[in-house]
Amino acid sequence: MISDYTNIAPDRDLQLLKTLGKRLKGKSFLHVNSTREGGGVAEILQRMIPMLEELGIEARWEAITGDAAFYNTTKKIHNALQGNHEIITDRAWEHYYEINKKNAKKLNLNADAVLIHDPQPAALIDFKKQGRWFWRCHIDVSHPNEEVFSRLLPFCRKYEATVFSVSKFARSISSNEFIIPPSIDPLADKNREMEPEEIAEVAERLGIPRDRPILLQVSRFDRFKDPIGVINAYKMVKKYNDCILVLAGSPATDDPEGEEVLAEVKNYASDDPDIHILMLPPFSDLDINALQRMSTIVMQKSLKEGFGLTVAEAMWKGRPIIGGAVGGIPLQIVHGVTGFLVHSPDGAAFRIRQYLNNPGMAERMGISGREYVREHFLLTRQTRDYMSLWYSMQSRKKGNLFELW
Amino acid sequence: MAKRKSKPSPQPKSKTSPPAQKDKSFVFRNIVNIIKSTGEKASTLKELREGIFKASENCVFHHTYQYFLRGHITEHTNDFAQWAGESLEESALAERLSNIDPYSFGSTKLLKDELLKVVDSYIDATPEIRPTLQGDEFYFCESVSFVFPAGLRASNLAEMLMAIKYLDSSSLYYHFFEARTRHRKKHDDFSKWITEVIKAPEVASSLSNIDPFMSTLEGIRDQIIGVLDESIRKEMEVTL
Repeated sequence: MISDYTNIAPDRDLQLLKTLGKRLKGKSFLHVNSTREGGGVAEILQRMIPMLEELGIEARWEAITGDAAFYNTTKKIHNALQGNHEIITDRAWEHYYEINKKNAKKLNLNADAVLIHDPQPAALIDFKKQGRWFWRCHIDVSHPNEEVFSRLLPFCRKYEATVFSVSKFARSISSNEFIIPPSIDPLADKNREMEPEEIAEVAERLGIPRDRPILLQVSRFDRFKDPIGVINAYKMVKKYNDCILVLAGSPATDDPEGEEVLAEVKNYASDDPDIHILMLPPFSDLDINALQRMSTIVMQKSLKEGFGLTVAEAMWKGRPIIGGAVGGIPLQIVHGVTGFLVHSPDGAAFRIRQYLNNPGMAERMGISGREYVREHFLLTRQTRDYMSLWYSMQSRKKGNLFELW
Repeated sequence: MAKRKSKPSPQPKSKTSPPAQKDKSFVFRNIVNIIKSTGEKASTLKELREGIFKASENCVFHHTYQYFLRGHITEHTNDFAQWAGESLEESALAERLSNIDPYSFGSTKLLKDELLKVVDSYIDATPEIRPTLQGDEFYFCESVSFVFPAGLRASNLAEMLMAIKYLDSSSLYYHFFEARTRHRKKHDDFSKWITEVIKAPEVASSLSNIDPFMSTLEGIRDQIIGVLDESIRKEMEVTL
C-alpha cells in the first residue's frame, strides 16, 4: 500500500515512515473517535490504519458509542468549543462521563500509544491503564465558550500531548502541544485520477454543460460557506465573461438550518439557467472528484471555516482556487502563489475575472497549488507526523533533534 | 548588521554521530520537522518583540533558518518579516527584517540580538503601530527535527550530480542550508566533502559562492547542478 504512494508523495515522507516503522515495529497504536462513517476523521483513519499495519505497527481503531442524550451533549460541546453559546447542565456532563466510562469498560484501550480524537471520547483518559495518551483536537478552539471549555479542560490536561490542526486553533493546554494539519488521500475516490470519459459521464448525468468556463463551490448549504456571496461574485463576473456556476452540497442531517439555507440559495439564484444547484447524496466522492476536475475555477469563499480541506482537494487536481481568508484556508492558499485569498464577493469576482482572462497564470497557479498540496497536505505526511510525535514522546532522549542513522 | 563571531550551533548538538563509514562516499540525509506550539502569541509589535526576547533558540531557529525548508515561496525571508508585512502592514519593518540573512550569523543568539535591534529601532522611530486583526496574531512555534538517511550515496562528482538532480528538497536543505549552522566555518556539506574527499577545491569554491539566501531550494538545486555539470564536462573534455 505504501508503495502505491511512490512518485506521488514526497520521498522524505515515505522514507521517514519506513525508518520510524522499523523502530516502532511490534508496538501498538490505538485511535479512538466517535464514528466509523462520515466526517474527515473517519475518512482518514480508514486509510491510515492499513498503512500503519503495513509498517509493522499493531494499529487499531475503536469508535465509542452513546445514546441520543450523549450525542446531543457532544454536539453542544462541539459548537461551544467553536464559540457558540451553549448551556450544558451538570446532569448532561455526568451523562457524558458515564458514557465514556461504559465505553472504557467495553473497549480494549490497552496500547503503547493512544490517540483520542476530539471531545466526545476525551474523558476516556480517566480510565487509562497503560501507554502514552495524546489528545487530537480537530476543532478550532481559539475562541471557545469558556464555561464549556473549562469543564473539558481537566480531561485534556491529563494527556501527555495535545495536537491541533493550526497554531491559531490551539490553546495552551499542555507543554507538549503539536501542530499537525489534516490531509487528503490522493488515492481515495475523492482525489484519484479520473479518465476523461468518467468525468464526461458525471457531467452528463448531473446536467452540467461544458461549453463554457465552470465555477464551482463544493460545500454544505450553510451561511458560513457564503453561497449567496458566491452567487453575487458570479453575477458580477457574468457581465464580462460568460460562465456557469455550480454549487454542490450534501444534506447534513446534523444541520437543521441546511434546508432553510438551500431554499434561500435557490430563491436567490431564481431562474438563472446557468446556476446549477446540486444536492448530492452522501458519499458522492467520485462525483465531487469529477466536478472539481471539470471546473475552470474552484471556490471556497467561506466566512468561517475549520480547516477547509476542499481547498486542498481542488488544488490537488491542479484547479485554480479562490478561498476566503479564514480558518485553515490561508495555510493552504499562499496568496498570489498557490491561489487567491479574498475577503468579499467583489474580491472573489475580481480574482475570477483575472483567472478567466489569464489562462496561463491560472495554469501556473494550479501547478503550484498541486505541488504545495503534495509537499504539505497528503495522508503520508499526516501519518508520518503522528508517528514522529509518538516516537519523540516515547524516546528517552530529550531535546528537539532525533538522528535516525 | 551585527558582526558575528562563532558557534554555538542553533540546533542542539547531537550526542550521536553517523556510524563510521568504511568508504568516504557522501551519504545523503533528509530532514523532516514536526511543529510544536510554544503557547505564546503576539498581536502587536511590542508583543512580538517580547516574544522574540523570551523565545528559545529553537523557536528563533524555526522562524528564521527553517523558513527556507518550507520552500521560500512567500514575499519575505523569515516568519517575523512576513507577519510584519502581511498582518501589521508595516512594510518598511518587513523589508528590514527580510534583509537579515540568518546564515551570516555564527549563532542563533546573535541572530536574535539583531532581530531585537531592528524591531526596537523601528518601535522607537514609529509613533503609532496598529495591532493586527483578531485571528492574524503571530504564533510562536518550535520544531522537532528528524534526520535520517535518504537512501542515496555518491562516491564521485558524477554520482553527486545525478543524486542532486533527483534528491528530495529536504535533503538539499539539510546539506546546503542547515549544514552552515553545524560547521564551524559555515560550509555546506557538499563543498566540504568535495574539498576533503574529492580534492577539487575549485569546484568546492564555486559551490560555496552560491548565495543560499537569494534562492529557493529549487533555484539552489539548479545552481549546484550547473557547477557540477560544468566541472564534470571539463574533466571529460579531450584536446583534439
